[in-house]
Amino acid sequence: METTGYIALTRQSGLLKELQVVANNIANISTTGFRREGVVFAEEVRALNAEGGGIAMTSARVRFTDADTGSTTQTGGMFDFAIDGPGFFMVETPAGERLTRAGSFSTNAEGDLVSMTGYRVLDSGGSPIFIPPDAGKVGVAQDGTISIGGRPIAQIGIFEVENPQMLLREDGVLFRFEAEANPAENSRVMQGFLEGSNVNAVTEIARLIEVQRAYELGQNLLDSEDERIRSSIRTLGRIV
Amino acid sequence: MIALKIAATGMLAQQMRVEVIANNLANMNTTAYNPRRAEFTDLHYQQIQRAGTISAADGSILPAGVQLGMGVKPSAISMDVAQGALKQTGGELDLAIEGAGYLEVALPSGGTGYTRDGALKLTGDGQIVTSAGYPVMPDITVPDDARDLSINADGEIYAYFQDQIDAQFIGQLTLAGFTNEKGLEAIGGNLYRETAASGTARVGEAGKDGLGQFRQGYLEQSSVDPVRELTELIEAQRGYELNAKVITAADQMLSATTQIR
Repeated sequence: METTGYIALTRQSGLLKELQVVANNIANISTTGFRREGVVFAEEVRALNAEGGGIAMTSARVRFTDADTGSTTQTGGMFDFAIDGPGFFMVETPAGERLTRAGSFSTNAEGDLVSMTGYRVLDSGGSPIFIPPDAGKVGVAQDGTISIGGRPIAQIGIFEVENPQMLLREDGVLFRFEAEANPAENSRVMQGFLEGSNVNAVTEIARLIEVQRAYELGQNLLDSEDERIRSSIRTLGRIV
Repeated sequence: MIALKIAATGMLAQQMRVEVIANNLANMNTTAYNPRRAEFTDLHYQQIQRAGTISAADGSILPAGVQLGMGVKPSAISMDVAQGALKQTGGELDLAIEGAGYLEVALPSGGTGYTRDGALKLTGDGQIVTSAGYPVMPDITVPDDARDLSINADGEIYAYFQDQIDAQFIGQLTLAGFTNEKGLEAIGGNLYRETAASGTARVGEAGKDGLGQFRQGYLEQSSVDPVRELTELIEAQRGYELNAKVITAADQMLSATTQIR
């Protein structure tokens, strides 16, 4: 008889997690290269009672990353890049290689091409890209080839992984990959553009309302369950 | 209730964006001003369930885990390095730099500052200084009897004197280039200082080694694009409101929680 409360509770705590995901998506509505995420609830059968009926509880089981491309905006920056297609840039962090879609790069004091957070951007062969300090105008072709004065000097590496759902998010709009990253085939580099966040305000607000109302519904259920137990205790108490 | 804090990081981020836009618009007519852009990255993630965890004895692997994000943080306010439009002023000591490079300025504190604001002036002694009165390096003094200064694209300054037919060479302005201009530290007054991120200044002759050239009689305008700033302002304002909405929703859910007994 106590299970009703617990089942409702799993739903409520799941909704709180979903609220957190919605809040995170909205907070990152203007984060370059951010991919919105969602939570999928799975049914978990925890116990079967004697009559053969099941008691199902729910838990936030799966997170998915929305792979839609965010809107690209023209910035005109020489080292601002957006990827048209499913590929990622590869950066070298102290903890290993990471993928990112945030192509807002610049050069560091040594002349290496680095990401916004200071990590070196890698070329198609996996080594850092050196931009000569006196380069002047740098052109980048759609396949990532960097050229100075018509002379190619390096190629920005665009990679993809077999199963993007296995990517782990890290702060700094980075993704950690476990399996191998292969050179991307259907991706083009666009110089002078940045990819915005792919969070859609309308969807997020709709989800927010849904989560809030579902939560209130759960609270109502808990309320009436509380009332039910109270009245049964009262009734039983009167008989004794 | 972490959602409240997450939405708060979002509101702070949008607020900062508005501040950056306000500063850009305020500097719409500042000589050689480059607009700044606030950039954001996501904060760390809470690993609720790791992707790739074995979910059963037969070795089934979870295809995707559960990670909860904690919000947003500003990662950089970077300078959009762009050439501003050149405005003709006709002033003989008004210099615009076309291309990369900064004028070196001796700061009163003893350090070196860098600027693209070429609205130069003369002191009573004939020394070439910036609008704020800081001497431009290398030190060039214009004799009092000189007239009609002419400065060519390479920064060579010539002047005519009463008793001579040909213009006399009196000095040459140099330019300083940086590996990473975005890494310069703005110190106000259109001045920048070099930092570890910008790399050391490469001082050289204008027009060589990727450095730009001088244009006498012109000033570089601010490269702020008001249309872009306004569209960003609208985005920032709506982003702020959306985050506020999340706070309201989280608050109402919290109050629903407190109402169960």
